[in-house]
Amino acid sequence: MCAAQSRKRDPIVGTSMPTLEAADKVTGATLYVGDLVVPGMAHAKVLRSPLPHARVVSIDAAEARALPGVVCVLTRDEVAAAGIEPVYGFVYRDAPLVALDKVRYQGDIVAVVVADDLATAEAALELIEVDYDELEPVMDVDAALADGAPLVHDTFSPIAPELRPVEGTNVCHRASIAWGDVEAGFREADRIYEDTFSAPPVQHCALDLHACVAAIEDGAITVWTNCQSPFPLQRELQRIFKMDARVIVPYVGGGFGSKSRDRLECVVTAAAQLAGRPVRLVLTQEETFLTFIRPAYRGTIKTGVKDDGTIVARHVRFTVDVGAYAISGARSANNTLKVATGPYRIPNALVECDAVYTNKPPSAPYRGLPTTQHTMAYETQLDRIARDLGIDPVELRMRNLVVDGDVHITGDLLRSTHAKECLEAAAAGIDWGKPSERPDKPAKLRGKGVSCTIKYTLTPPTRLSENGAEIELREDGLFEVRIGTVNIGQGSDTTMAQIAADGLGVGLDRIRVVHSDTALVPVDSSTTASRSTYHMGNAVLDAAAKLTADVLAVASQLLERDAASLALGPDGVEADDGESISYEELVRRSGGPLTALGECVVGGTYTAPDGTEYPIASTFWSFASAAAEVEVDTDTGEVRVLRMGAASNVGKAVNPDSVRTQLEGGVGMELGPTLFEQLVWDEGGQLLTAALMDYPLPTMETSPLYRPEIIEHPLEGGPFGAKGMGEIGSVITPAAVLNAVYDATGVMFHEVPLLPHKVLAALEGRK
Amino acid sequence: MRPFEYVRPTTVGEATDFLREHGDDALVVAGGTAAVVMMTLGVLRPDYVVDVGFIPELGPELDGSRSGGAGLRLGALTTVRSIERDPAIAGAYGLLADAASQVANVRVRNRATVGGSVCYGEPQTDLPPALIAMGASATIAASTGVRTVPLAGFFEGPYETVLQAGELLTEITVPLPEPGTFGCHAKFTVGSPENKPVANASVLVRTDEAGRCVEARIVMGAVGPVPVVAEAAAALLAGEVPDAKLIAEVAARAADATDPQDDLRGPVWYKRRIAAVLVERALSCALRKAGNGTR
Repeated sequence: MCAAQSRKRDPIVGTSMPTLEAADKVTGATLYVGDLVVPGMAHAKVLRSPLPHARVVSIDAAEARALPGVVCVLTRDEVAAAGIEPVYGFVYRDAPLVALDKVRYQGDIVAVVVADDLATAEAALELIEVDYDELEPVMDVDAALADGAPLVHDTFSPIAPELRPVEGTNVCHRASIAWGDVEAGFREADRIYEDTFSAPPVQHCALDLHACVAAIEDGAITVWTNCQSPFPLQRELQRIFKMDARVIVPYVGGGFGSKSRDRLECVVTAAAQLAGRPVRLVLTQEETFLTFIRPAYRGTIKTGVKDDGTIVARHVRFTVDVGAYAISGARSANNTLKVATGPYRIPNALVECDAVYTNKPPSAPYRGLPTTQHTMAYETQLDRIARDLGIDPVELRMRNLVVDGDVHITGDLLRSTHAKECLEAAAAGIDWGKPSERPDKPAKLRGKGVSCTIKYTLTPPTRLSENGAEIELREDGLFEVRIGTVNIGQGSDTTMAQIAADGLGVGLDRIRVVHSDTALVPVDSSTTASRSTYHMGNAVLDAAAKLTADVLAVASQLLERDAASLALGPDGVEADDGESISYEELVRRSGGPLTALGECVVGGTYTAPDGTEYPIASTFWSFASAAAEVEVDTDTGEVRVLRMGAASNVGKAVNPDSVRTQLEGGVGMELGPTLFEQLVWDEGGQLLTAALMDYPLPTMETSPLYRPEIIEHPLEGGPFGAKGMGEIGSVITPAAVLNAVYDATGVMFHEVPLLPHKVLAALEGRK
Repeated sequence: MRPFEYVRPTTVGEATDFLREHGDDALVVAGGTAAVVMMTLGVLRPDYVVDVGFIPELGPELDGSRSGGAGLRLGALTTVRSIERDPAIAGAYGLLADAASQVANVRVRNRATVGGSVCYGEPQTDLPPALIAMGASATIAASTGVRTVPLAGFFEGPYETVLQAGELLTEITVPLPEPGTFGCHAKFTVGSPENKPVANASVLVRTDEAGRCVEARIVMGAVGPVPVVAEAAAALLAGEVPDAKLIAEVAARAADATDPQDDLRGPVWYKRRIAAVLVERALSCALRKAGNGTR
């Protein structure tokens, strides 16, 4: 796995350190896409549909084009005239660059104005006249699934092979997985519980707003963007425009899935092509609400248990509202089939999902896909079961949690689980077992709750490498690590530098990181699904091993020593006998820089001990737990989270401070959707929570004190044993809070957010 | 943001002359904490932005020299933060300081002005209920002259006030309360305290040596188109030494006077409920202060 020559110094992997870019970020020196100025650049603004569902009868942009300072206006007519592919999408090719025959949500892109300056572009928007023929919208899954419901799309266009639309309906993907015999399992059960849970859409609210600059020069496209998937975007640009494309992603100020797939880049490139000059588009905060959102979720979970609490069967049916375009939402739903039953030994399971088109903005993953909502469903129900059976909630989980060697409902053999240890550590964080302190006011109730989860990572169906990493020993004696991972605030440059340093056996001062520029780094599928540390880390480690071998072979010739007696040292290759050659000299005398390409091969099948071949549903599985202590004000219905505990088995923490802040950030972020965040549309399909003043976000005041615990049980095959953990903090949060409120009040909530008026109504039995 | 012409008068006369000409198309901006957000969102689209932040006559006067016997004069540009922190206000005008301390967050309070808070006419704002409870008045200048309007009659609806095009609010005056007057402000928000509140309430009480209530004022925000003055509820306190039962009764009666709307911050029944809770909290707080004789 690793040719690490760490015998001469302490390992860097496992050491906490500030990220390499920390000083630049806190001093404001870091440049984001919105800061970029390209010579000759013009500015774009987007005309958005005021209606959730309508035919576009006509668009008259003549007056806008005539406004001085306007460069061009892109509508469906210009797209048709340019002869470019008019629709895009990652797993579903259903999103038009600009509206073609219909608009499908309030905020859908109808036209793009390009002008010399933003004010002119904004003014020109008002001069475009669009004639709409209004259609009935379907604003939620119930309306979309009703008999005779208006169809959001007349035809389906899935491109990912696993997607299964249902013709003549709004269901763009219907799928299920089964394990054992669920009906037999329920017959075996002493008790059966059924509950339905729901969660409304929210938006990711990354500080860095969606932004992109597109330029076309000498028949090739260059796009600067904060998209989390530069290489798939590059391929999409090449497909649509039939020319070479380069995608550059500088530092990104957070995405959380809102930038997991391209959304504006092809549109802006079309505008740049029409304009004949570079074009920049930076969305406003309000526009991000209309760009990618977390989908509405509803899940019904039926669980059969024995009287001793052993789960014998579980049936989960859920719907995901993918919105107007299934760019990636349909696959998100499909992927979470694998985790909907939780981190438990379940001999008989059936999971079914419908991903449904509606006239809402398109959905995107949100720090863990609907895994968060699944966890909320099965974990809250588990506390109901615990109460009913008179078993302590932690004890009930201990009886059912998976351990290493168990087989998951996908057929995967589970390794590096330690789910029980996560639960114990999280529960200890809130002194589980000790009653809460008495609140200072009689109108306040306190309670505690826990949650456990299992999460997968994106895994290809066949065995292949979706990642490369290159390391070059440069003429200046530095090792340049080239990675496709987008530095989105998670500290990936630092993590990869640490892995490279230990892989090579050199100091961090010798490492330089070049990230996410398709012209400079090898291919990478995406910075999503908590996948980078494992996949890119392995590719970096592979490159380090190959480069080490190459460097030692060269040094062996130059120093006339056996390669086995040589090792990479701080400043050069060193021999056992004290002879050495500096890296600079080695490169000079070898005739040029030395480069090695590493990769990380995943996917395919594995062979079970009995000889059966199973497809690998997830390259690794992540486990985590949260615990929450809350105080409920029975005068106002307000829920305050007083304390939280959280723990995740991360295999190996490459940069422990970064791991803790990722967990901490996930928990803190998810408290918003748990307590008060939600996007709300009126019956006519107009977004009511259209700006941050009507869309509260978590702040320091709403965040409890907590210190996440890192559990480390190395995963075989992970770089230094590491696996992914970037999303799991958010996944475990809502269930722990709901269970704590259940404990405090005796009322079980089946939905988030826990808005005070809903809590008060429930406490008082109001409808 | 739509392009506009930026105007920066340096005297009240200059400002009101400009507003006489262009008042219908102009937006007066002081701290900008509301105006700039509304312009960015495209809700307000003025042709002219009149920045009154450089008019010395509108400046604060908080050194107490004039704030002593005759009452308090707050120049329109007095920041919310200085109302929160100025020693001249903390004493007799403690209710104002309490309300100011609960406005949004410290960044906003450092920029936002009392003039802006009042002229914006937003029903959810904290200062208007406190100012009304304290009997404050607004001084309004126009090129034709000056008029004074009690704040209790200043607000006409959400974002609507008695201010006419061409007029400029120059100062707020607050009469010196009788000795023994104490007040508290309470608010309830969903999530972070800087969010728009479900409701707020300012309560002012004056008690005699026996602890009997001589005077009481209760004003609630965010539960009607304008701040709601609960006179009937306050009257229940007259001559009484309030106990928990009476406080609850007063709170319930105050909530009856509200006229809230169903919106993202909650349904009507809930806002009424919260108004009662807040009146109860603010009243208890004010009585506690009165009992302790501290402000």
